[in-house]
Amino acid sequence: MSATRAVLAAMAREEWRLHSRLFGGRRFAAFPVFVALVGGLTAWALSTTGTAVDTVVAGAHVLVLLFGLQTGTVGLVGRDAVEDLLGDVTLVLHGARALPISERRLLALFVLKDVAYYAVFVVLPLAVAFAPLLAFGALSLLWVTLVWTFALGLCATLAGVALATRGRPGKALAFVLLAGIALAALAGVPVAAATPYAFFAAPSVGSAALAALPVVALVAIAGVAYDAEYEPPARTAGDAFAAWRDRLPGEDPLLVKTLLDVSRSAGGVWKVGFSAAVLFAVSAFLVSLAGDVVGVRVLPGVAFGSILGLTAFTTYNWLTGAEDRAVYGALPVETAALFDAKRRAFGLLGVPVGVAAYAVAVAWRGAGAWDALAGLALLLGVQGYLFGLTVSLAGFRPNEFLFDTVLFAAFTVGVAVPLVPVLVVGFVAAPLTPAFALALVAAGVVLAAVGHVLYVRAVPKWTERLRDA
Amino acid sequence: MSASAYLARGREPRGVNAIATEELQKSYGPVTALAGLSLDVPAGELFGLLGPNGAGKSTTIRVLTGQLRPDSGSASVLGVDPVAEPIRVRERVGVLPEQASPPSFVTPREYFEFVGEVRGLDEETVTERVDEWADRLSYREKLDTLNTDLSRGQQQKVMLTGAFLHDPALVFIDEPLVNLDPLMQETVKRFLTAYRDDGNTVFLSTHDIDVAEALCDRVGIVSEGELVATRRPAELGPDERLLDVFLDRVGADAREETAPAAGESR
Repeated sequence: MSATRAVLAAMAREEWRLHSRLFGGRRFAAFPVFVALVGGLTAWALSTTGTAVDTVVAGAHVLVLLFGLQTGTVGLVGRDAVEDLLGDVTLVLHGARALPISERRLLALFVLKDVAYYAVFVVLPLAVAFAPLLAFGALSLLWVTLVWTFALGLCATLAGVALATRGRPGKALAFVLLAGIALAALAGVPVAAATPYAFFAAPSVGSAALAALPVVALVAIAGVAYDAEYEPPARTAGDAFAAWRDRLPGEDPLLVKTLLDVSRSAGGVWKVGFSAAVLFAVSAFLVSLAGDVVGVRVLPGVAFGSILGLTAFTTYNWLTGAEDRAVYGALPVETAALFDAKRRAFGLLGVPVGVAAYAVAVAWRGAGAWDALAGLALLLGVQGYLFGLTVSLAGFRPNEFLFDTVLFAAFTVGVAVPLVPVLVVGFVAAPLTPAFALALVAAGVVLAAVGHVLYVRAVPKWTERLRDA
Repeated sequence: MSASAYLARGREPRGVNAIATEELQKSYGPVTALAGLSLDVPAGELFGLLGPNGAGKSTTIRVLTGQLRPDSGSASVLGVDPVAEPIRVRERVGVLPEQASPPSFVTPREYFEFVGEVRGLDEETVTERVDEWADRLSYREKLDTLNTDLSRGQQQKVMLTGAFLHDPALVFIDEPLVNLDPLMQETVKRFLTAYRDDGNTVFLSTHDIDVAEALCDRVGIVSEGELVATRRPAELGPDERLLDVFLDRVGADAREETAPAAGESR
């Protein structure tokens, strides 16, 4: 076996084992089926509510592009995150110093492996999900263009990482390139014409060449810019512990450490706001879709409040991302105290960010007083409920269960059961009567109470479970 | 120091058992980690638990520090049952877990403040002890660097400091010398010996026979979750080595592999 094939095989095996260890063992094998089912249901639901198939296909390309960016980020720059989950991890990618293979070649093989692995494991089931909407020939083309889009995201990360190895000038160039593309799009330049989606929409040699251009350019940038000898400088920080402890309520060291972790890890506290902004955009999209396409007059307060309640999951993810149980094994810290610190950190960070995003939505969409009140109650209720549900299902590791098919299915059902009825109400109950608004407020209170009960019952469950494992 | 003085400082008098276990059993699914481990460690002893990888050393430490519940058996650490009162045990002992890293996104200085707060130490004491340890292990210039950007050896120094920050009467340390350079290894060895001389107890887990032989008052050899032998290195005969005892009790196959060929000197 040649060195290239041996490395590729080792990387593919490593990827599978990493996922199966992280995400529920052999249950991970069911993940493609889950993707196909959920994707199929979503595509079918969107098309039957009047959304054009082209729009759904375009949305799938956007999702896969983001997935490619995320996959590249975790693999190429997220070593800390992987180590926090799995302990001391050395990927084949990081083993160049122990192998007679150059780092450039390893990087190229890593990208190739990722494209092949995810093309089969995630992108193929996603393409299959469109079976109810597209003919077989179009499905095959869709798979090709989705894989191509995934590669585009991955290569963008690769180019970003390569430019970052050139220090500030490299980062400045990356920023200029990004800003240039954004400005061009705003100025009306058809940027989307140079994407695999354009090739799917109108297959031709010309559109294929145009779509290949960004991938080739990004690979070329990565090849030229990458400095294999680059070592990032060690980061230092002033002593913030005492100052934060004095300012935060309760003088709780666990709370201080949690918030320091969030503020110092990649993205800082801004990542909490970024997650809320993504959900804000989803809410805005759904509200405009319901209004423009389906012709329903939506209650913006109820709709935005319910969907922005999902920020509870993303915020809890950020609050637990840097947690390492081994540290607490050496200290006299009750598991319950650590959960309590996470809950208070959530109250200090997650709730205000959710409310702020909601306030912007209410002001922007001009919600009425009763609608705004009901939406606020639902926001807080869904946040409280989801916090309890996430703690109950995932303990301190919410990011792990995203790919654990059984747990994720349980979470999906747990989210859908209260959220879907509330959203339906939000989409059909306009104009909102005071009595109906008060009923929704009561629903918010009930959801928060259920979340509290889930949380209270989860703490002893996880305390026991962590002592037995 | 008198027995009453030891007790006043939270230390057991010499001769009294700091650690006692009886028939500890623990399995992870089909894998048996502890198969009836019984041992006693008197106060004031530097005890080494020696065994091959996977013999149950780290599991023993996790059980004794209340991190892990055994399937059966009993244990007492400084007179406290770690199964019933895990937090009380960890209040009194120091722990250096195997291959553990300090939290990524705080600096060593902030981590020690955090540990000090959790353990109820006053700021002055923390500052004083951190200064002492940073000088002892030569990492003062790294006190304000994020832990994630420290080398493995520097992270080990931070974890060692954290384990001793509250001046415990008993410490559990799992492979304390790993990732340290030879100079630092000597420094840590000297510190552990002096620490024992002050009447404290050290429970050291290692698979390094030389470390166990050079450092420990008594060594327990563990294999497949059971204590199969105990020896005092100082009392080994002129023709007896800890390595031989280890190979006799742990791996007959390994002994054959390491045995010199006919006519070869040992």
